[in-house]
Amino acid sequence: MPQLPEPLERLISELSRLPGVGPKTAQRLAFHLLRADRQRAESLARAIVDMKLRIGFCERCYNIAEGSLCAICSSARRDTTLLCVVETPLDVLAVERTSEFAGLYFVLNGVISPIDGVGPDQLHVPQLLDRVRGDGVVEVIVATDADIEGEATAVYLQRALAPLGVEVTRPAHGLPVGGDLEYADELTVARAIVGRRSF
Amino acid sequence: MELKRLELNNHRNYAHLDLEPGPGVNVFVGANGQGKTNLLEAVAMLALSSSPRARRDQELLGPVTPAARIHAEVESAGRGLEVTITLQGEGERVRRVIEVDGVRRRGFDLPGHFRVTLFWPDDLGLVKAGPEQRRRFLNQMLVQVEPGYARNLAALRRVLEQRNSLLKRIAAGEEAPGVLEAWNAELVAYGSDIAGARARAVEELRPYAAESHAEIAAGERLEIAYIGPPENFGDAVEKSLGDDLRRGSTTIGPHHDDLLIRLDGRDARSYASQGQQRTAVVSLKLAEAALVTRRAGERPVLLLDDVLSELDAERRAALLRRVAGEGQVIITSAEMGPFPADLITGARVWSVNSGRIEACG
Ligand SMILES: Nc1ncnc2c1ncn2[C@@H]1O[C@H](COP(=O)(O)OP(=O)(O)OP(=O)(O)O)[C@@H](O)[C@H]1O
Ligand SMILES: [Mg+2]
Ligand SMILES: [Zn+2]
Repeated sequence: MPQLPEPLERLISELSRLPGVGPKTAQRLAFHLLRADRQRAESLARAIVDMKLRIGFCERCYNIAEGSLCAICSSARRDTTLLCVVETPLDVLAVERTSEFAGLYFVLNGVISPIDGVGPDQLHVPQLLDRVRGDGVVEVIVATDADIEGEATAVYLQRALAPLGVEVTRPAHGLPVGGDLEYADELTVARAIVGRRSF
Repeated sequence: MELKRLELNNHRNYAHLDLEPGPGVNVFVGANGQGKTNLLEAVAMLALSSSPRARRDQELLGPVTPAARIHAEVESAGRGLEVTITLQGEGERVRRVIEVDGVRRRGFDLPGHFRVTLFWPDDLGLVKAGPEQRRRFLNQMLVQVEPGYARNLAALRRVLEQRNSLLKRIAAGEEAPGVLEAWNAELVAYGSDIAGARARAVEELRPYAAESHAEIAAGERLEIAYIGPPENFGDAVEKSLGDDLRRGSTTIGPHHDDLLIRLDGRDARSYASQGQQRTAVVSLKLAEAALVTRRAGERPVLLLDDVLSELDAERRAALLRRVAGEGQVIITSAEMGPFPADLITGARVWSVNSGRIEACG
C-alpha cells in the first residue's frame, strides 16, 4: 500500500486516538485540515495547546479550573455548607445553568463500574470523604445519573457519608417541564407520582 | 387488539411484504422453510421489541441491504397505533430504532402497546426444559402487562453483570468488599420488583390454568407455583457472600426463579408423559392469554406457530374452541389437514411461498 507523507500519517494516527473517531473519520478530518487555509489549522493547534496550558482541574472539587481553584470554589458568595456531588464537570455546568444551586460542587470523575474496573479508589471518593470530614459541610446532594451505575454509586456514597454526620440527599425525579404526560415514559411518570409533593 | 396491516422490508426471507390480515382467524399455510415462522417472529417483535428466537439482530437482516424494517398498523384499546422497528446494520453491530406513532421509544418501553400471546413448537417443551424457559414464559407475558417490568429486567441484567464482575475483582483482591453493599441494594431493589410481579402473575394464572387443564384432560389436576427468591431476600444475599465469591457469580435472585408444575400432585417435570406435558403447556398458554385479556381489558393477538400439527385431535379442538371466535388469531401450518372444517369456513387462508404471501380462495 502506498504510504502517505509522514506528517499526514502522524496527524491521522493522532486524530484516530480521539474518542468516537475511527480511522475513516480521522482521514477525512486530516484531509479537511490539509485543504483548509493555514490560519485555520494554526488556530486549531493553538486552541489545543492553550487549553492544555491554561485549564486544569480544581484542587478542591476537580471541576475544570483556570488556576488552582475553579471559579465556583473561589467565589465568596457560595454556601459552603452545601455540597453537590456530580459525575463530570459537564454536570456542574448543567446544574449551574439552572441558577438554583448556591452551594459548592465535587466532581467524582465517573461512577462505580466494576465491569470497567472502576471502584471508589479510581474515583475521587477518598478525597470526597476527606473534604466532608474537614470542611463544615452540612448536606451532601448526590447528583449522579439515575442509571444503574449512578444509583449504585449514590447508594455507596450514602453509606460512606452517613457515619460522618452529614445529611445525604438525592435530587427528586420528576416530569420533564413542558413535557407531554402522554409521551413521558412510564418509569418517569411512576417516579414523579411516588415523589409527589403538595402545592 | 388487532394487527390491521403489516409491512416487512428485508426481514429474513421477506424482501417486501404488505399484508392486511382479517380480524378473526388467519391461517398461513406453506411448506417447510417458506417463511411462516419468520412472519410470526416479526409480529411478535412488535409486541416484545426483540425477537424471541434470534440470538443477535444480525440474523434478522435479509439479503437485500444491511437494514430491515417491520412496520405495522395496529388497533389497541380502540385506538389506531403505528409501530415501526428499523434495524440498521453498521459493520458487526445492528442498531435498532423503535417508533410508536413516530415517537422514538427505547426497547423496554415498547411492550404494552401491542400485545400478543405466542405459542410455538419450542414451547411444547416448556414443562421438561430448564427453568430458564419457564422464566422466559413469565417474562414474555409480564413485559406486556406490567408497566416497568421490561425496564426492571434490563436493569437486573445490568446489575448482575456488574455484581458478578465485582465478585471476581474482590476474589482477586482488586477491590474492597465494601463496594458490594451498593450492588446488593440494587439487586434486592430490582429483584424484589420482578419477583413480586411474577408471584402475583402466577397466583392469577393458577385458576385459569387449572380450569382449562381439567377441561382438556378429563379432570386431571394442574397446579402451578412460583419459586422465587427466599422470603428474606436481602439477608439471603448477604449470607450468600461466601458462595458468591467462590463462584464469581450471584447465587440468589430472580435469575434463578422457576415455575413448579404439578399434575395430580406430582412434579410434572419428572413424572408427566409426553401427552400430559403438552396438555399442561396448552393450558398454560391459554391461561396466559386469559391473564393478558383480564389485565389489559382486551384479548391479545394469538400467534400459534405450527402447534396444531403437534397436538392430538382432542387438544387441538380444546385449543381452537378457546381461541377462535373472539379475537384475532394467526395460525401457521405446513398443511390444511389439522384444521377442523368449521374453523376454516370463517377464516382467512393465506399461502406462504418463499417469502411471498397470497390470499387463497
Ligand atoms: N436473515 C435471513 N435472510 C434470508 N433468509 C432467511 C434469513 N433467516 C432465515 N431465512 C430463511 O427463511 C426461510 C423460512 O424460514 P421459516 O423459519 O419462516 O420457515 P417456516 O415456513 O416456518 O418453515 P417450517 O415449516 O419448517 O417451520 C428459511 O429457508 C431460512 O433459510
Ligand atoms: Mg416454522
Ligand atoms: Zn472547585
